[in-house]
Amino acid sequence: MKRNILTVIIGAVLILIFGLLLFVFQVRQSEVAVVTTFGKPVRDLTEPGAYFKWPWPVQKVYKFDQRTQNFEDKFSENLTSDSITLLTSVYVGWKISDAQSFFPKFAGGSMSAAQRMLESTLRSAKSAVISKHTLSELVNADPKALQFDGIESEIEQAVQVQLQTNNCGIELEFLGFKKIGLPESVTQAVFARMTSDRQRLINQFQYEGEAEAQKIKSAAERQASEVVNNAVADATRIRGEGEAEAAKVLPVFQQNPELANFLLRIDALQQSLNQRSTLIFDERTPPFDLFTGIPASSTSQGH
Amino acid sequence: MSDEHDHHEHEHSAPVAADDAGSQALAEALGSSFAIVKIVMGLMVVAFFCSGFFTVGPQEKAVILRFGKPLGEGSKALLTAGLHWSLPYPIDEVVRIPITEIQKISSDNGWYLTTPEAELSGEEMPAGLSLNPAVDGYAITADRNIIHTRATLYYHIDQPIDFVFNFASASNTVQNALDNALLFTAAKFNVDDILTRDVAGFREAVQERVSELVDQAQLGIVIDQCEVQSIPPRQLQGVFSMVTTARENRNKLLNDAHSYENQVLNQSGAQATSITNAAAAERGRYVQAITAEAKRFGDLLPQYQVNSDLFRQQTFVQAMTQAFTNVQDKIFLPQRADGKPRELRLMLNREPQQPKPAANP
Repeated sequence: MKRNILTVIIGAVLILIFGLLLFVFQVRQSEVAVVTTFGKPVRDLTEPGAYFKWPWPVQKVYKFDQRTQNFEDKFSENLTSDSITLLTSVYVGWKISDAQSFFPKFAGGSMSAAQRMLESTLRSAKSAVISKHTLSELVNADPKALQFDGIESEIEQAVQVQLQTNNCGIELEFLGFKKIGLPESVTQAVFARMTSDRQRLINQFQYEGEAEAQKIKSAAERQASEVVNNAVADATRIRGEGEAEAAKVLPVFQQNPELANFLLRIDALQQSLNQRSTLIFDERTPPFDLFTGIPASSTSQGH
Repeated sequence: MSDEHDHHEHEHSAPVAADDAGSQALAEALGSSFAIVKIVMGLMVVAFFCSGFFTVGPQEKAVILRFGKPLGEGSKALLTAGLHWSLPYPIDEVVRIPITEIQKISSDNGWYLTTPEAELSGEEMPAGLSLNPAVDGYAITADRNIIHTRATLYYHIDQPIDFVFNFASASNTVQNALDNALLFTAAKFNVDDILTRDVAGFREAVQERVSELVDQAQLGIVIDQCEVQSIPPRQLQGVFSMVTTARENRNKLLNDAHSYENQVLNQSGAQATSITNAAAAERGRYVQAITAEAKRFGDLLPQYQVNSDLFRQQTFVQAMTQAFTNVQDKIFLPQRADGKPRELRLMLNREPQQPKPAANP
């Protein structure tokens, strides 16, 4: 009877497998599933794993991709509040947040149908938001005036609100500008302005270079002469100090002005009669006054 | 199944044993073919379980999904390089994730229409008068200039489970973030900062914005490097390079002025030092001289007081003696006997070396 038991086991296993295939289904990570009973959504399964269901035709399972989907709209023209035509394209990351609402909205839960809906929502939200802002809020060197981020999140908000009122089970994860441009004819005007800006810069650099260099040079000269003048003043002060110091010694000469005077004259004489001078003198000049005291004959002899 | 059939066969064949050679032969043939089927099925079962082995390479990780759910939590779910085993398909599923390799994304949404081949060969389409927004990309700077800018981003996947299971196309999301970062950063920078003055600052700001965006989206990647290249529109290249030349000229002028400044200041400093030094030396000399004078005066005063006339005579004669030894030419001119003044003519030569003053007696 061994064979019979084996047969029964194998049969049971087969029936089990068949039953599992009928009654159990899997939800993968990254998927979300909706179970319908006679076509009516009854359960939402967002966690991955194996789940039980009644076999067809009682219950049916619809699976959707729960991952973040990328979508970008067409590069399209919008008018800013300061009447500048701007071409923009934005990208969004969206995903199915509520599969039970998502699934009946779009035929068979089609992703492309959802994207078409998203595109029109995005288009109207974008033009509404851009028309409220000026170009200088989109491009600006001043971080306080720049509202690039703000404009992006405004569009995101507007789309989000629209999606919620439509109750289509989609939510935005993020939104940002992908491309920004100007109409072709405007670029030519921008080029003309940029050229004149450059020309102005060239002139400015030329002028600035010469003027700055001149300024530096004259400042240096002024500073140099100041330094020298200060030094001259210092020198005068130093000499004055010397004279003051010398003045302290002067009372010594007061003891006998006559002698002081005499010594000064002697010194002057000595200094003036140094080499390379010619001295003409007569017999009254000492020590030649000796000649006068000697008889004339001797004088002629000595001559 | 085969066992069941086999069994039936035996039951049927028992009552009609050795009935007919033809049917026996058929039974034997069926029996042997069922044996072959059994062996094949056994092999298939073995193969079924062996198929659960798989290898993970060094550049990847793998995740086993059991009934669709990752086996293990967080980073524990990641299988590293080596041999692994999983249950067969309907139960387990192996998902491979490239991880260690550096991923690369380039953004040329802000670049004019070109191809890498044309760029390398230098055979790019000539620039028109304007930019067609449909084909030529560019960014608008904070001061409303148009520039071309493009970037290459290198990153690696840090959280593979997020990267693979949360995004339909994660690399596309990175691409979008990079495109956006270039536009966003250009909108905050002035054209000269992007092109010349603050190229590194622009690059850093782009990278910062990208990492902000990918963190916000929870992409689970880490940015390694970001390269940015920016150029003025080709239509305006000439005038832009003229600005560069003008700026360089200005810098040269300024440099020259600064070196002149240094030179002048150094010279004046040296001059000032020599002036004050000279004054100090003069002062020293003067004070010293007068002090010496005073000392001599003090020394001489007693002698003078003893006999002033004698002292005068002595000192004068001494001085004259010295003067006479020093003086080059000495002319003695005695008084005329009649006491009348003499007439004296001097012939002065310009060269003092040979002064020949003639005396007319």
